[in-house]
Amino acid sequence: MIQGIFYARFFPQEGTKIVAQSPPGCIVPEPGVNKPCLFDFSVLQEYIIPRKAFCNRYITVNDPEGKYSVLGFPVSIPSPRYDRNEFIFNFGLVVECEAVADQIPYERVVRRLAVTFAEMEKQNFYLSQDPARYHLGGSTGSLDHHSYHQQMQQHILQQQQQIASSSGSIGGAASTSFAQRRPIESLLEIIKEDLNNYGECMIPVDDANTINMKLFPHHPTPPEVKGWHVPVAKMKFADIVDPTWDLTLQRVIAHIDGVSDVRRIAFNADVSLELTQLALRHLLYYDTILLLDMFFFGACYAPRPAMADFVANMGGMVDECANYVCIIGSHTGSSNNPTSASRSHHDTLGSSGGGASKNLSPTTASRVGSAADLAALSAGLSSSNNKNQHRISNYMLIKLMTTFCVGKTVMEWLKGHLDGGFEVLRFVDVRRLVQFGLIKGLLYRVHKHVISKQYLAALATGQTRPIAGGDPLQKYTDGLHTFDEIITEQNLTDSEIMEKLKGFPAPAGDLTVLYR
Amino acid sequence: MSVPVLPSPSNFLAVALVINRSRDGPRFVFHYPPHVKPAHCSEKQSNAEDNFDLDEEEDLFFDRPSRPGIDRTPSLGPNAANYSPLWNSDDHQVTDSGTQVVPWEHVAGFPTKDLESILTPARAYHKKLFHVSLDPLRCVSYPVYAPENGSWKKKKKQQKQKQPDSRKPRTDDDDSVPWTDIDRPAGTGDRRQSDVVDSSAREAAKAAMKTAEETEDKRSSMTMFNLVFILNPQKHEAKDLVDLMFFHIIKKINKAYKYCQQRSDFVWKESKKILALKDKGREDKRKMSSLWEEILSTSSLAASMQDIYDAVSRNRIAALQLETPEGLVTHSVQIPIPFHVPDLPPDGASDQVGLWLTTANSHIADDAVDELDYVDKNFALLLMADEKKIISELQQDADETALRMIEFVRHCKPTLSFYQVGQQSNNILTPAEVRKFAQHFIFWRRAIAIPPLHARDIYIVSPNCDLRKLPQAAAQWARQFPLSPPLPNFLAELSVAPRPYKLHCPSKAHRPVYMTMLAWLMRGGWVTQLCTFAYVVVWPEIVYEVEYALEAEEIAKAKKAQARGGDASSAESGRGSISSPTDMAALGDAAIAGFGSGFLPLLDDSHSDLASSAATLRDLSLSHSPTLARARQQTPSQAAESPTSPEPKFSPLSPAPFLSPTSATSGSNRPETLHRTVTGSTSSQSSSKPTPAEQAAEKARLERLAAKAARELMERATAHARKAVPEQTSHPSINPARHLAGMSPHIILDAKKATGTESLYLSAIGRRLRDNGKKRLPSGGGVNHNNNPAGQKHLGSTNLRTVPHGISGMSGHGGIMHAGIKDGSDWDERVANTWPQFWKYFNGRSALERIALQEDMKRKDAWNLLTAMSEYLLCVRHW
Repeated sequence: MIQGIFYARFFPQEGTKIVAQSPPGCIVPEPGVNKPCLFDFSVLQEYIIPRKAFCNRYITVNDPEGKYSVLGFPVSIPSPRYDRNEFIFNFGLVVECEAVADQIPYERVVRRLAVTFAEMEKQNFYLSQDPARYHLGGSTGSLDHHSYHQQMQQHILQQQQQIASSSGSIGGAASTSFAQRRPIESLLEIIKEDLNNYGECMIPVDDANTINMKLFPHHPTPPEVKGWHVPVAKMKFADIVDPTWDLTLQRVIAHIDGVSDVRRIAFNADVSLELTQLALRHLLYYDTILLLDMFFFGACYAPRPAMADFVANMGGMVDECANYVCIIGSHTGSSNNPTSASRSHHDTLGSSGGGASKNLSPTTASRVGSAADLAALSAGLSSSNNKNQHRISNYMLIKLMTTFCVGKTVMEWLKGHLDGGFEVLRFVDVRRLVQFGLIKGLLYRVHKHVISKQYLAALATGQTRPIAGGDPLQKYTDGLHTFDEIITEQNLTDSEIMEKLKGFPAPAGDLTVLYR
Repeated sequence: MSVPVLPSPSNFLAVALVINRSRDGPRFVFHYPPHVKPAHCSEKQSNAEDNFDLDEEEDLFFDRPSRPGIDRTPSLGPNAANYSPLWNSDDHQVTDSGTQVVPWEHVAGFPTKDLESILTPARAYHKKLFHVSLDPLRCVSYPVYAPENGSWKKKKKQQKQKQPDSRKPRTDDDDSVPWTDIDRPAGTGDRRQSDVVDSSAREAAKAAMKTAEETEDKRSSMTMFNLVFILNPQKHEAKDLVDLMFFHIIKKINKAYKYCQQRSDFVWKESKKILALKDKGREDKRKMSSLWEEILSTSSLAASMQDIYDAVSRNRIAALQLETPEGLVTHSVQIPIPFHVPDLPPDGASDQVGLWLTTANSHIADDAVDELDYVDKNFALLLMADEKKIISELQQDADETALRMIEFVRHCKPTLSFYQVGQQSNNILTPAEVRKFAQHFIFWRRAIAIPPLHARDIYIVSPNCDLRKLPQAAAQWARQFPLSPPLPNFLAELSVAPRPYKLHCPSKAHRPVYMTMLAWLMRGGWVTQLCTFAYVVVWPEIVYEVEYALEAEEIAKAKKAQARGGDASSAESGRGSISSPTDMAALGDAAIAGFGSGFLPLLDDSHSDLASSAATLRDLSLSHSPTLARARQQTPSQAAESPTSPEPKFSPLSPAPFLSPTSATSGSNRPETLHRTVTGSTSSQSSSKPTPAEQAAEKARLERLAAKAARELMERATAHARKAVPEQTSHPSINPARHLAGMSPHIILDAKKATGTESLYLSAIGRRLRDNGKKRLPSGGGVNHNNNPAGQKHLGSTNLRTVPHGISGMSGHGGIMHAGIKDGSDWDERVANTWPQFWKYFNGRSALERIALQEDMKRKDAWNLLTAMSEYLLCVRHW
């Protein structure tokens, strides 16, 4: 929230003065206003109009009480036209100190004000020839002030009407060109009010100039998007995309399905990998996608401490999960119907080449079995739960989620439950279950790394370059690269990699496989 | 605790000392490092990083010097003509116009002449945060002003009194941090104290001589000093970084300087020295590097600034050593960093990678801060450096505390909890001492607190370990443990499948080495303990049993209450629980017996005493319809057994057609109809006196209500009776009974806080645990029947996977043989007795591995007990 906004100017004789402020009396006392100032202007004035070395840059300073920050951009315009060959002014904002993060959006506001008014001053001496040669806190009589205020009020009313109709020239019965422009004080007030209330403002200053400003939130730089990440949309892009969007982005968005990895998206969208990554990073910046990793039945997932929230069904998490993962009976209108889910499922397995794809075939075969069969079975099994035919109980979901463990692949996990008498695949889309766990921070992927001791030793002694013409897999053997990375970059399956590593030119026992 | 934004050379640019003098104005005394790159360079760099920050428009407008329109040249003075390259040179240069460009007179692109004025704020900022940003640069400081009287030194007398005071503000501020004054590694605090005493004595002697000097000082000397930290944070991290630096570093260092200034005019004297050197250097056109070298070697103030920058920018502990005329003043400052994270950091937060991953410590932060006992028993000290190195460091100052600390270091093993350390040192160290030293070591980053390492615990490769460090770590490992498997192999072995650590150890003789290896891995954040967290699962069988019992109890209670009402204890209770089958039956009987005419007088008679009337009524009905009375008496017992409701029993017998609906449709009776029926039958008497009629009506209404409630109860009782009687099976988790099919197990999130039904579940489970043996022994007969907990575990884990191999794996070693020796029922008794004792750990947050430590039990024992309970536990395994 903007607590105050002011226009300060340096006068050759009188020094730094506040010419206009809003709300009245926020920076320097004003007759007729009883409220105390936000801070002691005399303490901060050297930061409002600082030495020349610090002009023309964004300057902020906190007040001694640590309550407010003054954001300003002192502008110095050198020109022989002026006394002392220089015109110095500053349009500043006062905001609370507490939320420094919230100050970031105001930087652009301050810069914009400085730029606009500096340009106007250079074009037609908008500021230096201001007829109202007031400076508050000066010796001007209170009577003048009163009439001035009335005048100002009228102006504000007029302007608000104008803004409402968003057209019309700045009028008034005044005859001189200076008299018909609005006083700066009222401009400031409108800026403050609009930014505080609407987060943006559009204010015609005179016939030629309009100030358009908007507060944009600031986000930290997102992490890099890698080829083996799987983007998952957090919103329905199809609903918000319009033809004015960046063409690359549009093509990329069309292929975000929660299953395909970035490399695949790039291939399918016929966009270069770099551009795809850039586009996705852009989406990531606006927090519209999540990055997960590729799902394989041969991969291993393990619980994280947040699992406690799941067990406690915090915020209905388990029910949300049930809607997301239960194979039939999810009528939440999610984009995938079960068959397409299982098909896309298939695609990942087949194409990206999970290590377990071979083992998996019997399971998938049973999985693809006729839908009627499946429905009948599940109906029979959960007949007691007559409310929602195909939804497995919360307890079962918790059970499924908590039984993931380090050192146990999804296949083994499935088998474990099968042995326990529960055919997970009939009731639950395992990929979605894992994905749910990953998104909610309940699970993490245990990555597989391959490490060559020889290569490590070389790295430790500083010979960091891999031997030219050496094994293409060598650069992956420093422990920093996951199998996912090799899979996407080398276009190999897990088992193919393992096979290739057997032929790795290194002494026996040099390579180890680390799960992390 | 999340990892804060830490200072680094990229966001912490420099530290600078600025002073103000009463006569000569502000002066920029010294800055370190010598060359600070101008803001523009760094800004561009940060913009390149922040490539989504597209707000370039205004920058283009102003910040390019070539831009026509706004020409910034005049503002920068003659130097600006030759832009930045000059500022970074080591040598003095002379511009075309003949001005000498002194390399140290520009810091971060600004002339020091300008900086010194902007960095000497008004007195209003005395001992407050002063924070000014110049584009991306942020100057943060804590200005210190001379007292109003202009003299830094306090009067001699005042000084003596105030001595504690002058130290006090420091210790006060340091309160948040335990024992800052026991400086690293030990003893310096005491030394400082002795300095103070010495100095005051000396000062007293000098005081007379100094008076003249002082008045001179008053006029010309320093009015304030300000140690400014120049930061260049990323936009979003600015607030955090500034707060952190201010609170932990800036404030403390400025206070240390103030202390020295007050004692011995230290800052001013050193500043004079530095300024003189700089002025001379300017005359001689000395190279900046050689001048800086000289300044750093002659002035301990300058050297301390160097220390501060070097240490803080790399996030180490900065140890100040200020050589004041009264002796060496030392002080250490640091930004405390967490040594562990509770969960995996999000992708891209690389600064947290490599930290030890655990939830053990975050649990304390929640609620057990004051539970010293908990900390004592659950944590051990893991030294971060070699024990010998720390001891030799401590031996340097051989005072009492240091000796105790050496003792402490010798006794501390990562396998022993603090509690055990206290015990094993033969009580040389008090528990308070152990705690204090441990905290001291942890605060000064010489150690971390970990749950004691144990060979039976499971350790896995931490998903947060920093594989970038692997090459160096592997080399170091090979040097330290030449006979052990190479680090990558060992980690791989740990990572394949979680197993108790001792299984990785080839023989018992290797155990000590392997424990040292584990400590090494722990220190580097390579491994983390895989813990088991449990919740209590209440199986449908138990849920049903408890519900059934509850219902039965409720019905029994209601019946009892009703019986009391029927036996005429009071009108109130009669009204409250008119709903009793006996009453209803009585009514019905009366009607059936054709007592319609005699009915009312009776009531009328006894309207003052409802209860007695009811009693009479019953007596009457009893006498007239013995059969029905018998039936009625049977009702309660029958209701419990027979599935038929009492309704059909009575209705065929009822000859009075107008009454039967009232008794049958108890739920739908309208008061009006009731009234009508009653008045109709009593019209002859009610004409003269309305009161009795009304009373009768009321009476009848009550009776009917009673009848209704009674019927409801009856129905409930019947429904209850129809339910299957709970049957206790030896494994409730796999009870396939039909009546349990639709129920899903209930999870108790925190057994310690369980109330109501949940506590009943818990005690029901407790009973089960006790009865297990008794039940099974007669049925099974065999000695080696399911009695042993391992067998139970087996069932649980294979059939239902109740227990992921956390428990089963652990018990696999001790459990079977142990239970074999145990007598079945005794064992069950023990399990049942420990069940309530263990509840408090079944909350999903307390690791089961630590129960043994907490309860002071043998590990094997604790695990066997847990295994016996495992059927009722839902386990999750993470760190």
